[in-house]
Formats: sequence, C-alpha cells, structure tokens
Amino acid sequence: MNRKSFAPIFFVGPHFILFIIFICLPTIYGIYASFTKWNLINDPVWVGLDNYRTILSDTSSTFYTQFFNGLKNTLIFVGLSVPILIALPLMIAVALEHKQVKLKGFIQAVLYIPGLISISAAALIWLLIFNKQLGITGNVFGSETVWAANQPYAWIIIIVITVWGGVGGNMIIYRASISGVSKELYESAEMDGAGPIRRFTSITLPSIRFPLIYTFVMTTAGAFNVFGQPLMMTDGGPRQSTTVLMMYIRQLAFGHGESIAGMASAMAVLLGLVILVISALQYYVMNRNAS
Amino acid sequence: MKKRWGITLVVLAISAMLTACGGDDKNTITFWTPLTGEDGSYMDQLVKEYNDTNPEIKVKHVITSDMYTKISTVLNSGKGVPDLAIIHADRVPGFVRQGVLEPMTAVMEAQPELKEDNYLPQAWTTGNIDGVQYTVPLDIHSNVMYYNKDLLQKYNAESFLDDNVVTIDEMLSLQGKLEEGDYVVNDALLGWVIMAQIQNLGGDIQENGQPAVNTEAMKQAFLEVKKIADAGLMTPFGEDGYLMFQAGNVLFSTDGTWSSTAHASVEGLNFDVTNIYSTSADKFTNRASSHLFAMLKNDNRTDEKEQGIGEFLEFIRQNSMEWAKAGQIVASKQVIENPEYENYIQSFFTSNEDEIKSLYIYTYEYYPYVAEAVDTYAADIVRGNVDLDETLQTMQKFVEDKIAEGNTQGE
Amino acid sequence: MSNQVLNNTGAEVQIKSPVQQPLQGKRFPISQYIAYLFLTVLCVIWIIPVIFGITTSFRSQAEVVSTGFRLLPVNWILDNYVTILNNTSTAPILRWLVNSIFIATTHTALVIVIISITGYGYARMNFKGRDTLFFTLLGISFFPGVVNLIPSYKIIDAFGWVNTAWAMIIPGLAGMGNIFLVRQFMKGIPKDLDESAKVDGAGDFRIYFSVILPLIKPVLIVCGLFSFTGSWNDFLWPVIVYTDVDKMPVTAGLLLLQDIYGNYRLIGQLMGSAILAIIPTLLLFLFAQKYFVQSINLNAGIKG
Repeated sequence: MNRKSFAPIFFVGPHFILFIIFICLPTIYGIYASFTKWNLINDPVWVGLDNYRTILSDTSSTFYTQFFNGLKNTLIFVGLSVPILIALPLMIAVALEHKQVKLKGFIQAVLYIPGLISISAAALIWLLIFNKQLGITGNVFGSETVWAANQPYAWIIIIVITVWGGVGGNMIIYRASISGVSKELYESAEMDGAGPIRRFTSITLPSIRFPLIYTFVMTTAGAFNVFGQPLMMTDGGPRQSTTVLMMYIRQLAFGHGESIAGMASAMAVLLGLVILVISALQYYVMNRNAS
Repeated sequence: MKKRWGITLVVLAISAMLTACGGDDKNTITFWTPLTGEDGSYMDQLVKEYNDTNPEIKVKHVITSDMYTKISTVLNSGKGVPDLAIIHADRVPGFVRQGVLEPMTAVMEAQPELKEDNYLPQAWTTGNIDGVQYTVPLDIHSNVMYYNKDLLQKYNAESFLDDNVVTIDEMLSLQGKLEEGDYVVNDALLGWVIMAQIQNLGGDIQENGQPAVNTEAMKQAFLEVKKIADAGLMTPFGEDGYLMFQAGNVLFSTDGTWSSTAHASVEGLNFDVTNIYSTSADKFTNRASSHLFAMLKNDNRTDEKEQGIGEFLEFIRQNSMEWAKAGQIVASKQVIENPEYENYIQSFFTSNEDEIKSLYIYTYEYYPYVAEAVDTYAADIVRGNVDLDETLQTMQKFVEDKIAEGNTQGE
Repeated sequence: MSNQVLNNTGAEVQIKSPVQQPLQGKRFPISQYIAYLFLTVLCVIWIIPVIFGITTSFRSQAEVVSTGFRLLPVNWILDNYVTILNNTSTAPILRWLVNSIFIATTHTALVIVIISITGYGYARMNFKGRDTLFFTLLGISFFPGVVNLIPSYKIIDAFGWVNTAWAMIIPGLAGMGNIFLVRQFMKGIPKDLDESAKVDGAGDFRIYFSVILPLIKPVLIVCGLFSFTGSWNDFLWPVIVYTDVDKMPVTAGLLLLQDIYGNYRLIGQLMGSAILAIIPTLLLFLFAQKYFVQSINLNAGIKG
C-alpha cells in the first residue's frame, strides 16, 4: 500500500518537472509581460491593466480594432476549417477500413505527404495553381477572379491549403483508433444485418469516442493559433479580412519598429482564454455524451 | 531490440554532448548578418578573403534568418551578443534610443579612412544621431524600376526614358494600347513607391518629430498612383506582379536593387534599370535603405576586438567589389569609383550627382511604424477598396498608437 | 453539427442493441464503390499539387514564370538540385539533413518513453487531484507562446544548451498534446484488464509494461510520427537557438535560402530543397504505417 502512494510520482513526476521548466515558467512570464510595457530588450515596465483596458474598451484605439478584427477572422477560420478537418479524415479512415480496398498504404501516404511539405513551399505551389495567368483556376476552369484578392475566394484558398496539409494527422489517429476496434464486433453486426451507416454510428463512433474528443479539442486549439496559411496565401487581405489575430500579435511583437510586446502578450493571453473556454466546453459536452 | 535502442540512445547522447563543447570567442569576431540567400554567399566570400590576409583576430560570419528577434533574445539575456552586426538603416534611431548601440568612435580613431568623405553621404549620415556616429555603411539598397526592353520597343515607349524620369502621365499614355495580358507596371514594393512620391511631392512623414501620415502629400501620392491602377495599367490586385515581369508581360517592375541577379537568371528576359516613376518630370526619388555595420552593447568586447573590427571594416571599404555582385549599391566611394564597378547594372544610380541624391533614406525615428501603416493599407487604397480620407485617418492613428505604446521611458 | 451526430450516436449505443432487421436479400457492395470513388477523387486532388511541386523543381525559373499550369516540365533540368547540393558553405543541406535526423530521432525516442509513462499515470492510476492536475497543465499549455521565447531562451541559456541539439530535443518533451492523446486511448481500454492483472498481484509498473504498453503500440507509433514530424518542421525556435550554420536542422536552414526581404524568388530551388527535406520523414511514415493500423487482439494483451 505504501509503495502504491509513491507510484504516481514516478509516473507523472518526470514530465511534471519538464513542464514546469519549459512551459509553465515561460507562460507565466508571458502573462506577466501582458501587464507591462515592454520592447523585448529593456526591462518591462508595470502598467497594471492598461493593456487589457485598451484592447477591450478603448474603441478608438488601433489595438482594439486589431484585436476584434483578428479575433473575428480567427473564429471564421476555426469555424470553416475544424469541421472539415474532423469529418474528412474520419470519412477517409472509414473508407479505408473496407476489406476490399487495395493500395491502402499508397492512399494513406498520398494523403499524408502534404502535411510534411514546408508551408512556404506549399504556399508557392498553391499560389501557382490559383494564379490567374498560370494556374488551373484560370486556364482550366476559366475563372476570371484573382482568388487571393477577393472574398470569399481568399478564405477558400486558405482553407484549401489548410485541409490539404491537415487531413493526414487526424486520419492516422482515426486509423489507429479504428484498428483497435474488435473485428468480431463488426462481423456480428453485419450478420445481424446492420448496414454500413449503422455500423459506423453504433460501433465505430462509440469505440473511438475518446480519440475523437482529442482531435476535436486539439484541432480547434491549433486552428486558433493559425497564422502561416493566411500570411503566405493572402497576406491578410483583402482589406484585412483574412488577417487573423496571431498575425497582429506577431507583428506587434516582432514587427519592424520597436517591439510592442506588452500589448502583444495581452492579446495572446486573451486568445489563450478564448481557446481555454472553447476547448473546455467541447471537452465537457463531448465527454458527457460519450460516457 | 530494446537493448539496441538503449545503446543507440547513449551513443546519440554522447555525440550531442561533444557537439555542445568547443568553440571559443576570445580570438574571433562574431559577425551576425541578416543576409540570407545569395547575398550571404557574397558576404561569406568577403569574410573569407579578409581572413586570408591573416589578421590577428579572424571574423566569423553568422547568417540568421530572423536576426532582430535573435538580437532581442541575446540583448535581453546579456549573453551571446555578437561583436559586430549588419543592421538596416531604419533600425538605427530606435536602437540608439534604447541604448543598445555602441558608438563607432574608437574604431574610427584607429582607422582614419573610415570617414564620411569616403562613403555615399546619405549612407554615412543615417548612422549619425545627435553628432555621434554609430554605424559604418556597407551599401545602399534601393527601390528601383526595372524595364523590359523588348516590351518598351514593342509599345514605342522608349522615349519615356529620355530624361531618366518615367512620369505617371507617360505611363497613362499607354492606356488602351496594350495587348490583353500585358501591363505597364506591377505593384511590387508598392509601399516604397508611395514613400518616394511623398518626396517627389515635397512632403514628409513627420512634423517636428510628430508623425505626419494624414497629409496632403500622402493623399496626393496615393491619388497619383491610383490613377495607374484605375486605368487598368497595373498588374491585377493579388497577382504576383514580380513573376509577371519575369514572364515578360509587364513593362516596368518597381522592385529592389537586389532583384537584378534573379532577373538575370531568367533566360530571354531582356531588362535594364531606371528610376522609380514619378508624379512630375522635375523630380525623381528612389526610396532606399542601407546595410550598416554596427556594434551592439557588449561588455565583453575587448579593445583588441574593436581594433580588429576597424581593420575588417577598412578591408571592406577597400575590397567590397564582391558585394556589387549581390546587386547592391556599394557605399564605399573607392569601390564605386573603380571602373570595374561600371559592369554592374546598379552603377546607374551613382553615375551622377542627381542619381546619388535620388537615393532617399528616411531617418525619422518612427519611420518603421509609418512604413508598416503604409504597407498595411497601400494595396487596398490604390485598388480603391477603401475610402482614402478615412483610411488616412486610420493610418495616422495606427502610427500614433504604436508610438505611444513603444515609448517605455515615458510615464 | 458534428456534435449533434455524436449526440445521437451516444444515445443509440445505449438504447438500441446492434440487432436489427433481417437482411433484405443479398447486399450489393455499393458502399464499397462509394468508398473507392471517394478515395480516388481525394487522392487525385491531393497528389496533383505534390506532383506539380516535384516537377517544378526540375524547371528553370523562365519556364516557371512563363508557361501555364502543366504537370510536366517542357525541359527537364537538374540545375536546381546541382545548385542546392553544391552550396556547402552557406547552405549545407546534406549536413542539415543529418542534424535533423539526429535531433528528430532522439527527441522522438524520448517522447515515446515520457508520454507512455505519463499517459499511464493520468489515465490508469488513481491519485488525488489527478484530473485537476492534468487539465490544469493542459489548460496552461493552450496559452499561445509568443513573447515566451525570450524566457525560454534564458532557460536554455541557463542550461548551457544554446547552439546545441539539446535545445531542440528537451523542451518539446514537456508538451501536453501527445500525452492527451495517449491518455484518451488508454481510457478506451477496458478497466477489467488491469483489474484482473492486479488480482494476479501485478503492480502498476508491471501492468503498464505488460498489459497497457502492448495495447497502445499503434497510438505510440502515431505519436512518434507526430513528434518526429513536429520536431522536423519546427522553424521558429531553431532560428533563435542556433548560430552555427553547420549545426542547424534542415527546416531552419531552408529559411536561409529566402532573399533578404523574406521572399523565395528562385522557385525551382525552393521546391527542390523542400522535396529533399521531406524524404526522411516520408520514409519513416512509409515504414511506420505498417504498424499503426495493426489490429490488436485485446485478449492477447493480458498474458504479456
């Protein structure tokens, strides 16, 4: 019994120490910085809640406008990308479960490869494809629009590159989860006359509910942190309609002029709180339904 | 199986430890630059040539792709600060105000030839704040206008170049004369082009140290450039005008001196370079920046090292012809007065006094915020996506808000 | 919307048994055709940009900017690769690949050890405040790290890890993502498995090693893939911690190929280097994919 009380320390302790040093301390410092004026180089100067007051209530301030525009655009990105990044990989994984489907390894590899390509190379590929003069949209489909500069096309190309690069990860999670489901379960269901949809809803989904919660929460959190895709594909345009919050935050902290890191940190903390609330809600709702 | 993993791990760990050791800085000048791409290779070559002269203290060139963030981290932690760095002209006032630059005084005393007379004047003075010299220039890199010789001939537009100023009116005269898919000018570095027009119109971006963005000159600059876009002569919004120039569909491309090497690599592209187009035939401006050698505050930098830095800078002053290969306008007069320099396309910009004067470097301490505002809104204004007056107000506020936040010693 | 789907299924599982109406004649494998069609269309859409990227690395700049969209180059050239591989002073890409392989492999091996142990602790052990602790850590890790890189750098500096591989290998071990995934997987394993092992007198370590570990092999392989790829593709952090060009991992190194204003203008070269950079991770994936879909017999796990 005595030995047992020490066992958890052995199991979660090492990671806990690493976490405190490499994540917790820097995060606390980041939160501290949000209550200061700071240029990243000199010592931060404490200003209390000033940054938060400016961002949340000074409607005439540039930072107020940037924060709410950025948050709105981030939410649009999350709303558009997350459902696809959950549903599409799940459909792929289920389709790949068919016994008769050949070349599974090849199909999987094709869908996974885009996630390995660096974002700058991927962006260039897609920009050439969407290029009006040189690309597919112009030449093959005869589209006269410049996609990156007009809505809703600007969002479409951002989502396209995100989905193209992003399905692989969740797909292999679902593949690994579904493979753990006992084959006899499916066979007996089939013998009982359950069709594919029924088998999916009454065996597959419940069996992978825990990994499903994981993909929902983490895909959403990841989507809130997006900045590479809009930066490379549209540079935030047109009229800053695709400038996500992380782009504003990074420009404030690492832009060309003197760094405005305190304000950037405050925006990052607020973004963190939004992520926290949304993922907690997701977890709570899904976990309750799952158990 | 498991055992083998363990052994591999141990071996890997040991080899990592080994790579961790070694490398001492006492007898090397650590030299950071943001010179990625081919530029880094040319600078590498220069450093190698210098080290081949067997100086007492050798120079170690470190290229970083995100140098300013890296500079923040080392200045903040106080360790690993480089002995010498190349920074951009617009960083100088901010760095001096934050007290992180060391004056070049001792270096200049040791090397009498490191003086204003030996460099392009604006490149030198951009490093002078309140009478103290903080930097020694390497180059001026400027916004310039490339033109496609074949297209100019095709559309009978060669006469535009007669007086070395292509005016907006001249460009507009091509309206209705272009084949489908061809354009007069692209929108590369549009923000820099706007900044040049402000000078052409006799305006400025500051008034007594206060930012002046919402001005008549700024408004005029946008209206003039917008005429080109409104006439359908500018490459479409959102298209890569740079690639379209390389593809031979655009007469003029407003990009940087540094692009000449890339253009040269495109087979069949017959191009040359001239000044950025102007609102009037009387004045032309090429908005420029400069790569400057600077010493960040570092208590561990010995006097010997400063001597070594002086020797290195003097070597660069005499031998930086190599740097011309990168397409940049070399700042050292000794190099640009050498006949060999005329082989480089950018020698156009130092061919006479008027050209030298046209290379304009903004030295306003909050220039970076102004540039950020212009870059953020320029495309939407020129394409008519937003209301001009309203946006100019937003831009003015943008700069003022950022200045108020950055001013840490206030309060 | 997706939540609603789940809502329904959750209810169905409990209320209805899988026993349904009898077969309506011989079933046509329509679903199979649909699956095939779906996967084929998807693969075509997914692979075209990849092929286009690969073939672009064999095109000259003049061809890239002037010819319209074509899958295959008009003139195949090797110049881009020759240039990339010849530059050994400012961009030693082969050296970078070796560095990346070392960093990613070491990191991944350690990640697998850490996450399986920690995941077991949070999923299968009982101690006071277990879930509170887990969700607190997870919550903290959700705060976007922007200016955090300044204190992170100081910490690395304090350990003397600046400009060494440790700066790339160790901090990532603190991440919560993979632990969360492992925990979720372990929660799906029936409790009676370890109960019966406990009855046989096995301790936590024994259960972890011989009961749970074999069962979570697929997810550990998935996590290993993620860690490897994540470590491989990280470019913000290595740029800050490395100064020596020779020690850099490949993704950070590739940033040195962009021009001074942050643009990649030599498109063929960028594609070529990006393709060289994915080969090792791709090989690892091809190797690993045999294992993460391995089906597991839950009953076999107990014997260990």
